[in-house]
Amino acid sequence: MNDDQLRARLRDADPAGSLPPAGPDRVSHLLEDAMGHDTDTESRQTGTRGRSRLTWLVAAAAVVLIVGGVAYALLREPTTTLPLEEEQASRPEALALTLPDQAAAGRCMTPTPAALGRAEVAFDGEVASIADGTVVLRPTQFYAGGPSDRVEVAQASRSRQDLILGVRFEEGRRYLVAANGGDVMVCGFSGGYDEERADLYAEAFAA
Amino acid sequence: MCSGLRTLWHGGGVVTEEPADQHPNVRRARFAALARDELVEPLRRFLLRRTDPETADDVLSETLLVCWRRYDELPEQALPWAYGVARHVLANAQRSTRRQQRVAARVASVDPPREVPDEAGPRDDVVLDALARLGDDDAELLRLWAWEQLGPAEIATVLAVTPNAVSLRLQRARARLGDEVGKIEGGAGHEQSEGGRTG
Repeated sequence: MNDDQLRARLRDADPAGSLPPAGPDRVSHLLEDAMGHDTDTESRQTGTRGRSRLTWLVAAAAVVLIVGGVAYALLREPTTTLPLEEEQASRPEALALTLPDQAAAGRCMTPTPAALGRAEVAFDGEVASIADGTVVLRPTQFYAGGPSDRVEVAQASRSRQDLILGVRFEEGRRYLVAANGGDVMVCGFSGGYDEERADLYAEAFAA
Repeated sequence: MCSGLRTLWHGGGVVTEEPADQHPNVRRARFAALARDELVEPLRRFLLRRTDPETADDVLSETLLVCWRRYDELPEQALPWAYGVARHVLANAQRSTRRQQRVAARVASVDPPREVPDEAGPRDDVVLDALARLGDDDAELLRLWAWEQLGPAEIATVLAVTPNAVSLRLQRARARLGDEVGKIEGGAGHEQSEGGRTG
């Protein structure tokens, strides 16, 4: 019996040979469990254990819309660089988005350019202020949707801010934000500006 | 679907160039994708080949946790490395199980490990018997070679030894396995009775 034959016989005897793959739910739970125990990022010292099951699966979820219309503001002109403060008064309608605050409804998908490319709104901007759970961003560039010189994001309550794959907005920091249906896309699609994410956005909206 | 991510993963120089200040969300999403695409299923099989389903479950969770915590150390070829982690975690689990069993001191008979639910096809029991007759090290090499289908360099990563050592030992292990199979099959008669193997 040569090596190939031996290997083939062993393969035939593989106890996991005809084992069906684990279901996607099972895999998601495993990942939640593993990453929910994380200790090296964010401020998650307290009360996170009970929450981890939900938090990992951040996605489109319970939605509370703030300040009026969403969609109509999105589909006007294509990509432009925006003027800043001066025009604000003359264009009062802010783009209103919501940062989902619950994880129950779905699960994360990989942030691919293709998936990001389907975002109705995507922009690069800085956080101007955070007050009463509303984050005001000053967009400098729209990749999709807009343009608007002001985007308001209704932020989930403070206790939810450290959602594992959510977005933590901080005043003065620059972000890349994408949204669909008025919901900020989390799970790595939206977040602080960095080269990786900038590349992702550039690739997603290249055409 | 995942091509974009893979590009980032590989093209980004993986771990070495990724600064600690990389956004945590991106890290998480990447690890999740890597685990989903490349780690979970092979690790699950790896464990189900070596232990009972309950232990396999626990060890799989623990292994993923370790991989996530040590995300920065993951080599580009993550799977063999992850097998190595799983081996350690499994060994620890089995050690502590043995300890518990000693403590429990035969109050009740210990449940025999359940077989992997795999009654689909006829198994080559001869080769399994032969494998069981080999030393642990030989058997593990052969399992990694035939079941995980790893090459010597990958096996070397799993076992933390050199590829050369793997090649040599693998050669010997194969020869021994061949011998054992020959003995069983050549020995004829009683050894081959398969009716006696009821889980």
